[in-house]
Amino acid sequence: MSHSKMKSAIDTFLKGKMSRRDLLIKAGRYGIGFAALTKLMGMQVTSALAAQDFDWKKHSGTTIKLLMNKHPYMDSMIAELDNFKALTGMNVEYDIFAEDVYFDKVTAALSSKSSEYDAFMTGAYMTWTYGPAGWCADLNDFIQDSNKTNPSYNWNDVVGNLRDACSWSGVAGDVPGAAGSKQWCMPWGFELNSVTYNMRYFEKAGMKPPGDLVEMTDQAEYFTKNAGSNEWSYGIGTRGSRSWATIHPGFMSAYANYGLVDFENNGGKLKAAMNSQASKDFHKQWVKMIASSGPANWSGYTWYEVGNDIGAGASAMIFDADILGYFFNGNPDNKEAGNFGFHGFTPNPSASAPTPNVWIWSLAMSNFSKKKDAAWYWMQWCNGPENAMAGGVKHNQVNPVRESVWASGDFDDKIRGTSPGYMEQYNSSIDGSKIHFTAQPLFFETTTEWAAALQEMQTGSNVDETLDKLASKIDRMMKDVGLA
Amino acid sequence: MSINVWSILKFFAYVAIIMFFLFPIAWIFNMSFMTNDEILRKVPVLFYEPTFKNYIGLWEGEIAIEGFATMYVYFKQNLINSAILSVGSVSVTLLLGVPAAYAFARYKFKGGEDIAFTLLSFRFAPALLIILPLNLYFSEIGLYDSYFALIWVYQLITLPLLLWIVRGYFEDISPDIEYAYRLDGHSWFQSFWKISIPLAKPGIAAASLLCFIYAWNNFVFALILGSSQIQPVTVGALAFITASAIPYGLIACGIVVSVLPTLILALFIQKYLVQGLSLGAIKG
Amino acid sequence: MEYDKSFFNLYFFTIIIELLLGLGIALLLAKRNWLNNILGVLLVLPLMIAPALASLIWRLLINPNFGIVNYLLSFIGIDDFTWASHPDTVLFTLIMVDVWVFTPFIMILLLAGLRSLPRQPFEAAELDGVPEYYKFFRITLPMLFPFILTASLFRLLESIQQFDIIYALSQGGPGESSMVFQVSAYLQTFQYTNIGKAAAMMVVLWAICYFLCHVFVQQWHKLKIKTKGELLQ
Repeated sequence: MSHSKMKSAIDTFLKGKMSRRDLLIKAGRYGIGFAALTKLMGMQVTSALAAQDFDWKKHSGTTIKLLMNKHPYMDSMIAELDNFKALTGMNVEYDIFAEDVYFDKVTAALSSKSSEYDAFMTGAYMTWTYGPAGWCADLNDFIQDSNKTNPSYNWNDVVGNLRDACSWSGVAGDVPGAAGSKQWCMPWGFELNSVTYNMRYFEKAGMKPPGDLVEMTDQAEYFTKNAGSNEWSYGIGTRGSRSWATIHPGFMSAYANYGLVDFENNGGKLKAAMNSQASKDFHKQWVKMIASSGPANWSGYTWYEVGNDIGAGASAMIFDADILGYFFNGNPDNKEAGNFGFHGFTPNPSASAPTPNVWIWSLAMSNFSKKKDAAWYWMQWCNGPENAMAGGVKHNQVNPVRESVWASGDFDDKIRGTSPGYMEQYNSSIDGSKIHFTAQPLFFETTTEWAAALQEMQTGSNVDETLDKLASKIDRMMKDVGLA
Repeated sequence: MSINVWSILKFFAYVAIIMFFLFPIAWIFNMSFMTNDEILRKVPVLFYEPTFKNYIGLWEGEIAIEGFATMYVYFKQNLINSAILSVGSVSVTLLLGVPAAYAFARYKFKGGEDIAFTLLSFRFAPALLIILPLNLYFSEIGLYDSYFALIWVYQLITLPLLLWIVRGYFEDISPDIEYAYRLDGHSWFQSFWKISIPLAKPGIAAASLLCFIYAWNNFVFALILGSSQIQPVTVGALAFITASAIPYGLIACGIVVSVLPTLILALFIQKYLVQGLSLGAIKG
Repeated sequence: MEYDKSFFNLYFFTIIIELLLGLGIALLLAKRNWLNNILGVLLVLPLMIAPALASLIWRLLINPNFGIVNYLLSFIGIDDFTWASHPDTVLFTLIMVDVWVFTPFIMILLLAGLRSLPRQPFEAAELDGVPEYYKFFRITLPMLFPFILTASLFRLLESIQQFDIIYALSQGGPGESSMVFQVSAYLQTFQYTNIGKAAAMMVVLWAICYFLCHVFVQQWHKLKIKTKGELLQ
């Protein structure tokens, strides 16, 4: 009967040999509904870890230390940490720092080759410098070793684009995940850059979430122009601080959607491409939008200000991380909590689907750790299928990186119950999402310069000239390190 | 007539100074009793029902955000850390700095000026330049994450400050007074303790207060050289900011609480700052 | 270098304003009465808040959507002041916050200095019927000068290394308009992990400080000797 066939299909899926889409298609063919499918999967996935043919107690008594960023992911990990301690007999200590200073602490610890911390939180971009510098370990050595990794870990359950995004060969211009890549970190939670909008405001204005960038600009302008007599203050929230963080969310997602690239790669030699004609046109549209309908103090905007404003009802919509909207929507201390809708956004009128640039909070292992094997035990538990499910369903481990969590009915119910449009946003965006930047060691320098140029354009500099200047500056920087 | 204009000008000067320097303080105090919803309004709310939620949350260390998450803050521990670090640093600075300042002021020994200048130069060693090597060094000798190491490093900020301020005061005291006292059969130490220190008290008081403030407000040394267990309030308060809100009320509350110890110290020290005036006559 | 202009504007304006303001306040509060005693302590409050946190609060105060300062300014016809978000106003904003935080530092030192000045010269001047402004320029100011120098020396050294306020308010932007040495060195160290390059920049900064400090200390010694000599006459 179809049930047993389905079981074997799930097995194949869990082993990572079938994509989620194929599994769903198969399930449909066998007439199995979504909820039933999840149940089946749950039965198979949540086999008691301790009963496995794997020595979880091997490092019993060992204490490892983590360096962590203050984040909901960290909170959900801590909430489940006792399970890990019971399972392994290990002890876990952790240092938590505010995001504002977190990466300073990481850089200080790693650059001094300190063995204080065994594992830490990071983003893929950071590993573009940490990895080649020899600061973090190649996780392939652990993932592929069946003596070190438990049989139900199922690495391939992690969304493929994300696995790729966390790996890189170290050669400037090589695509993350291509052959020869090292796994510098592993995905733990991630964000897609989409539109979060205040449904109350949009209803009042008689609008639907924007179909493309031009419509977004018009809508944002409407909100800004009509701010005087209404609750809101302006139309569109995006980040604008003088930092790489301004480039990677909405801006880069839109840039990529227009088919634009940051660099032209000529056999490992990189040439800045921000001043191509198409890129200049795009910048003009973007700058027009933020200058006329963004926050007045845009150049100070980070994640927090963008979220703060939509949370307090100052902005009508944001083009930023989906989970930014999700978190601020969920926190009842924010005035507009519960009023947000989510929308997968395709800025380019001639593109068929969204192409969000992706940010992945990841776990990496310090290369200076003296307890790497023990640290790996924690890592494989932390983003293993069971803990990912607990994090996604019971806590705020959103977005989960595992297909199995997205396919779970409990997770689906939770998200649909709180966040209208979120699932649709995810489903329309995930396939086009990846890191749209060219992997190269000067990522932070070049994107910071890019953000500075955007600030100049927003305060009135000529777009064409500023971009030409930016491109030649970046070319010079690349030349200095022998990449141009 | 001219007196009148003068006092009117003075009145406006007072008003302007109070408005500029103290209005933000008053507003911070005000915000510490508000919810974020009340703070983040297009038109500021002037009348609201004060809440002690922020203070209670800081004290209990656990703030439940209904139906969403529980936020943990370690502010009490941060306060204790700040107190240990600041009191420790200022004590060490006073112990070393006051006698040193006296020596530099009173005795012109060979190389004295060079040593004084070198100590001053510590103060302007860019923190960024020394912090990473220090991190390496402290990790190696097992001093990473210890109060002792931080109090040691804090001397870079507090010692030169105290030394150079207090030195000026000692130099203003006429040596004749000390000689006269010593001719009465008192020892060198007695004259230092009974005459020189009391006369330099306003300087010592002002310098200690400043040292305490600088130690209290330091940020980067503890951040890089310590684990989260020994972080001071400055680093701790930043951790109130979460992915789901900037809790301004809580931050304002943290500022109010973290300023209190210094404020109390300043009130206590005020007495000594004033004392100088009455003793001024025997100086010069 | 590209940050020369803002560099000088920032440091010199800031210190001069803080000195004048700190001196003014110290003179205003010199006489002991209940109001001056209370203000002498309360005015130190801005200095007691860590600059990183003070900047965070200032960002809220001047926020165009929620800020009380912006709201109050709208009553006197100042709408949409751009503060730290426009190259034309960013230096003003940084200086304003720096003045707010650090003027109390100067005030404490000068107030303590003022209150420890010897009385005889003033009493003598009083007897001779010397006018107030003469007393101020010929007695108070020269005797206070060593204190002023100490205060400005420390402010100058700190100001050259001031990072928290600038980074929290503008990060050197918009564009390059408030980019200073220490912000750039911070970015090199912690964001770009060019630790060697940052160290080189910092050594240059240290050398500048060293030189300035040397000049200051020499002047300080000269002044000390001079004021002593004058008083003994």
